[in-house]
Amino acid sequence: MDYIISIIPQMLMGTVDTLRLFFITIVLAIPLGIFLAFCRVSSFKLLRDVVAAYVYVLRGTPLMLQLLFVYFGLPFIPVIGVRLDDFPAAVLAFVLNYGAYFCEIFRAGLQAIPKGQFEAAKTLGMNYAQTMRRIILPQVFKIILPPVSNETITLVKDTSLIYVLAMNDLLRTTRNLVQRDFNIMPFVVAAVFYLVMSMILTYGFNKLEKHFARWD
Amino acid sequence: MRKIEAKSICKKFDDLEVLKSIDMTVDEGEVVAIIGPSGGGKSTFLRCLNKLETINGGTIIIDGETLVSTDENGNVRYADNSSRIACRMGMVFQQFNLFPHMTVLENLMEAPVHVQKRNPAEVQKEAEALLEKVGLLDKRDQYPLRLSGGQQQRVAIARALCMKPDIMLFDEPTSSLDPELTGEVLKTMRNLAEDHMTMVVVTHEMGFAREVATKVLFMADGYIQEQGSPEEIFGNPKNERLKSFLKSILK
Repeated sequence: MDYIISIIPQMLMGTVDTLRLFFITIVLAIPLGIFLAFCRVSSFKLLRDVVAAYVYVLRGTPLMLQLLFVYFGLPFIPVIGVRLDDFPAAVLAFVLNYGAYFCEIFRAGLQAIPKGQFEAAKTLGMNYAQTMRRIILPQVFKIILPPVSNETITLVKDTSLIYVLAMNDLLRTTRNLVQRDFNIMPFVVAAVFYLVMSMILTYGFNKLEKHFARWD
Repeated sequence: MRKIEAKSICKKFDDLEVLKSIDMTVDEGEVVAIIGPSGGGKSTFLRCLNKLETINGGTIIIDGETLVSTDENGNVRYADNSSRIACRMGMVFQQFNLFPHMTVLENLMEAPVHVQKRNPAEVQKEAEALLEKVGLLDKRDQYPLRLSGGQQQRVAIARALCMKPDIMLFDEPTSSLDPELTGEVLKTMRNLAEDHMTMVVVTHEMGFAREVATKVLFMADGYIQEQGSPEEIFGNPKNERLKSFLKSILK
């Protein structure tokens, strides 16, 4: 027990990095996903195709590969050739990747709204922006809540991939402790940390789903 | 006064000609029922009137203002303010299309407040009066999906009326309702007709067409095959297509 208490401060430090990446990714990837989803359903074919290709590439390759590419590969690309620090590189890779997934979730949500809702709004004189903001999006949010919740919980666990960039997130901190102390207890504690984060998210999303269920 | 004038309306879906050449006029206070077999173009025609479908040829004049016209070269041109003209007509759909995330009262107030920018307090008073009229004032704070189909459709009618339309369009308003719920919706529409609202109703309710309509159009195969008073259409049909249609549904 004393051992567990002694490692908790270090593991909490690791968790801070994990959570920092998690929150920044969510805050940037969701708007990116919404934006891409609107491109994906626009009437402009070229835009639709470009976004479809983007989604295909980002969903079709491992996040780990994308992470390594952004960190180690970008400096070698002509013209762009930037060298990012480990944290910005991780944020960029995660936002690009999760943006693609959120795009598909929002697109499915948009397309699930019956055509009649758009028509009713039109006969009431609402313009495109009003229709989207006041009629369509509130209904889309309700539909996409379960897949978004799923994706968000996956993200908590995916943050552990940054361990390949030698960042001291929760998982890497844990592994260091295991190797230093020849004790597997840190693995158990790390599992509990991840479970607590997932539990809080699950609780939050359940609350949201209840809130949106009031009109069923 | 002439409320709707539609001249030689053509509408194609890809290669399928749904409306071949439709002419229709509606005067103020008239209740026009459009009857006919499914797939005959009734709903499509109604949806052309308020621009839910764009036409491939013809002219539509609403209340003296040109919504869309076609020049001699066949170019169809919608007026710049066509959306504003179109939403002077209230529309009631077969599937109600209420906004499920808003209460009944919010459904009624949404467009008058946010589109017409009217005073919310006044709109609320009018909305409540309309709900009273359709017998649903006690449901004002309910969400639409909690209501029966008939109640939802009456809310939809009230929502359209809350925009103070000159004309009301009904697209098979009772077709997705149980028989026992159609009565309450038809009664609401009948009251509306008695208040001299100008109405165009696509319907399979022959009783309603016969008793409430001032004019009945029989549409099939993309044409208006016959039109006249309900007595003429139901009592003394001349068109062969209409005769067999009436025979098949009155059996």
